[in-house]
Amino acid sequence: MKKLKYIFFIFYLLTFTLPVLAQQQRFPKPEFESGYVQPSTQTPEPRALSLEYFDVLVLLVVLSLATWLAIKKRSRQGILWLSVFTLIYFGFYRNGCICSIGAIQNVALSFADPTYAISLTALLFFILPLAFTLFFGRTFCAGACPLGAIQDVVIIKPISLPKWLNKTLGLIPYIYLSLAVLFAATGTDFIICRYDPFVGIFRMDAKFHMVVLGISFLLMGMFVARPYCRFFCPYSVLLNWMSRFSKWHLSITPAACIQCKLCTNSCPFDAIDYPTNEKEVLKSGLGPKRFLVYALLIPLWIAAGVLVGKQSHTWLSKANPDVYLAELLISNPEIKNDPDNIDVQTFLASGKTMETLVQEAEILRGKFYIGSMIAGGFLGLVIGMTLLNTVVFRKRQDYVPHKGNCFSCGRCMDYCPVEK
Amino acid sequence: MTNNDKLKLAQNVAVISGIFCSVVALLLLLNFWQFSKNDPIESKGLETLVERLQEDPNNDGLKTEIRHYDLLARKAYFSSQWQVKTGAYLLLFGVIVLAFALRVYYSQKTRIEEPEKVLENEIAGRILAQKGIVIVGGIVFALAIAASFTTVNYLERYNWETTSGEALNEPSDETVEDKIEVIDVGEVTEQPVETAPEAEQEALTPEKPVVQEVATREVEKPAPEPEKAATKTPVPSMTIDIVRKNHNSFRGPLGQGVIYHENIPTNWNGTDGTHILWKSPVPKQGYNSPVIWGEKVFVAGADEQSREVYCFNRNDGKLLWTGNAGNIPGSPSTSPRVTDDTGLSAPTVTTDGQRVYAIFATGDVVAFDMNGNRVWAKNLGVPDNHYGHSSSLITWDNKLFVQYDTNKGGKILALNTSTGETVWETVRDAKISWASPVIAQVDGKYQVILTADPIVAGYDAQSGKELWSVECMMGEVGPSVAFHSGIVYAANEYARLVAIDVNTQNIIWENDMYLPEAASPLAHDGLLFIATSYGVLVCYDAKTGDQYWEHDVGTTLYSSPVFADGKLFMMDNDGVMRIYEYAKEMKLIAENELGETAGTTPAFADGRIYIRGENNLYCIGK
Repeated sequence: MKKLKYIFFIFYLLTFTLPVLAQQQRFPKPEFESGYVQPSTQTPEPRALSLEYFDVLVLLVVLSLATWLAIKKRSRQGILWLSVFTLIYFGFYRNGCICSIGAIQNVALSFADPTYAISLTALLFFILPLAFTLFFGRTFCAGACPLGAIQDVVIIKPISLPKWLNKTLGLIPYIYLSLAVLFAATGTDFIICRYDPFVGIFRMDAKFHMVVLGISFLLMGMFVARPYCRFFCPYSVLLNWMSRFSKWHLSITPAACIQCKLCTNSCPFDAIDYPTNEKEVLKSGLGPKRFLVYALLIPLWIAAGVLVGKQSHTWLSKANPDVYLAELLISNPEIKNDPDNIDVQTFLASGKTMETLVQEAEILRGKFYIGSMIAGGFLGLVIGMTLLNTVVFRKRQDYVPHKGNCFSCGRCMDYCPVEK
Repeated sequence: MTNNDKLKLAQNVAVISGIFCSVVALLLLLNFWQFSKNDPIESKGLETLVERLQEDPNNDGLKTEIRHYDLLARKAYFSSQWQVKTGAYLLLFGVIVLAFALRVYYSQKTRIEEPEKVLENEIAGRILAQKGIVIVGGIVFALAIAASFTTVNYLERYNWETTSGEALNEPSDETVEDKIEVIDVGEVTEQPVETAPEAEQEALTPEKPVVQEVATREVEKPAPEPEKAATKTPVPSMTIDIVRKNHNSFRGPLGQGVIYHENIPTNWNGTDGTHILWKSPVPKQGYNSPVIWGEKVFVAGADEQSREVYCFNRNDGKLLWTGNAGNIPGSPSTSPRVTDDTGLSAPTVTTDGQRVYAIFATGDVVAFDMNGNRVWAKNLGVPDNHYGHSSSLITWDNKLFVQYDTNKGGKILALNTSTGETVWETVRDAKISWASPVIAQVDGKYQVILTADPIVAGYDAQSGKELWSVECMMGEVGPSVAFHSGIVYAANEYARLVAIDVNTQNIIWENDMYLPEAASPLAHDGLLFIATSYGVLVCYDAKTGDQYWEHDVGTTLYSSPVFADGKLFMMDNDGVMRIYEYAKEMKLIAENELGETAGTTPAFADGRIYIRGENNLYCIGK
């Protein structure tokens, strides 16, 4: 017992004292007699490595719990309370950072820029949910994502959206993903973080337009369930892909489906696939001929996307601050006399030459040239594949969750009268 | 409580919290509107007062009014911030209660009902989806194309041919190699030719000077001359004897802090002029130290407007010439931001008797001949240095060594002293540092030794090859190394002091009791000296690291300790030079006041000391 106490004491000492010592400033900040406390210049504040690993551990535990609750325990109530914990811990306590969705950008940048070393925490936050999804479906969305959780708790009266709208709006996450990767890989911006609608709510500190955006998403989410997850989240693209291969995905019924149809309206996310009506399919004319046409069109869609990417790379590259600054100074040289333009004044004070800036901007534009073509080609492929998917019919006899779209929230399980 | 009661309670709570949320949101919007209309920090009234103060800077009443107004504005700003923050928390609380109440309400109200008939036709939905996808995809592509047509590529319009040196149109690092300005000093014969002072000639003996000396003259602004072929005549390498006769770099011969002159004065007073042979004002500020060759003393200075090298007559303090380091291709239009305690001209110049070389915080390297004619100049790219570049130059074997450890990576360069062309360049696996290169002879070969975070390393002076490297240093390294009997001593504040055997690369001993921030260690004759920025001078046994003595002088020590004439010379930042016996026991021989602050390291010539104060250059002699 005494030994245990010592171990606990040492653990406590290492966990709480070392980070404090490590973060001691070389020159201590001045102390004010008025008791003024200097605010941190970074939000959220840098975290000690041990606590970052603790976050990974929490994620791992929450993912495991969510998976167990969805697949084994089949408890909607459990998942709900777990998502409340996630909302409090990863949302309000950790200020929405680090999150798996934003980690896409760290991964993209680490591939594009060999000098950028991705932290192990960011990498694990990116990989762990994907790994769980590959085997168990999107249990991450069910209980481990703070962005999903904040939307989930405000679902009041969800309405069902028509399939065509779901499919069409479903293109947006692919566009967002390709832009996010392009901007991250070129070192331009982390747009997923910048335009995260809920991070301002988590931190209670955001620009006015972002607060409006966040509140709008929540208000919309009362009726259109989880709008960000379904129609914007770039990480959902990857999770969707992974989930389609999941072997142990959540099922509506714990045993054989009795076709009672009680679950048909239970999913607020329109993620339940109905049994296939073979007669209608045969009548529809969406047969092999159309499949072949759409399959042959895919290379054309890709080519069109590459062309569009090539054409628009100049425009897209203007989002990069260096390219923007270089072009600003070329197109408007007198702006260097504007003392209020902080960007220009900072550049002038840095002593960097204009030629260096222009050369750097040209290198960046070159990266955008390649990146935009890849992003365009990817979007073309997505459009072609989505179209092809509309003429593919899978034979289903029961009401089953759509493996790609299902968030494994477990609402449908409560509606199923079948006992184990 | 019946189900109906629960339903009613949830409904009432939802209504109350809904009203609460609406009121708070309205108040927040009001606050936002009020703030955006009338930002107290950007107050016009305050601006007007400040403008009035600029016209009448001594108006104390106005100053008080501005302070009062400013305090009010800040209070208003922080009150508004507090209101926003509190409002946001209240709103969040209200929303949580509302969401919870609504959930309870709907969960109580909703029961599993008879499933509705599926009205949506699957096939029709798919066909509509196809149309939707094609339309959305088409719109996205069309928008991107439209945006590309409305976009102007301004980068293509950039005029690369615009005159260099013009603001915002400077050549890049990559092109500076082609843009070295070279002036043939042999052709500057329009000046009245006089014989160079004899002593300067002697300084080079036994070598024969190659470049014909021209008259000493004051070159205020050397006219930009057309590029011509440089004097490529091979200059005989300096020998160690020649270097020892002079004080050609920071901390003297080879940068080791050991002086070979004798008969050095030990008593003076700058205030009453005792033993001050002359005192000359230095036109521009700089924390660099004087260097000496023959009868000439060189220092550099710079401000936002220009960068200059000054040559003084060593005997009478007359300013012989001023070399201007302007109009250098690639030089930035505005000076980089540097801290006040580093400045734009912290690196000490160096000379080989043929030319004097200087570097500035802008990355400009310039060479003047001994008469002030600019021989070549180039810009190495503005160093990304948050305090300002401070590493001094040193020359050996017709090469000018430049430490260029910046925030963007570390490297050491050797430039051809005749032409400025890069002879070799070695990339260093080191972070930014402010230490200067030191030259050391190891096994008959000369190497350049540098210290930075994390390595102390030696480079072959001939080829630039890294000969050895020891990972032992950390932090923002300012002090250069000391070298003595095959051992390199490196130290830095908040890091440690290490003695490294160059041959084995083993750390012989280390200590972290007293560490310098700016002053370089001195190792000579079995003793090692460390001067800390908090005013403690410490003497160690160079071989064992045993401490012999320490002396707390109670003031900042940035200047490096120097051995000369069997004594230790230690200048403090207040301008007081303390002279000690160079011995294992502490014996203070003298304390001499300069009369002005000085953090530079003194230079020595036969029987004289040259000290750069904040504003003046002093010559002290018996």
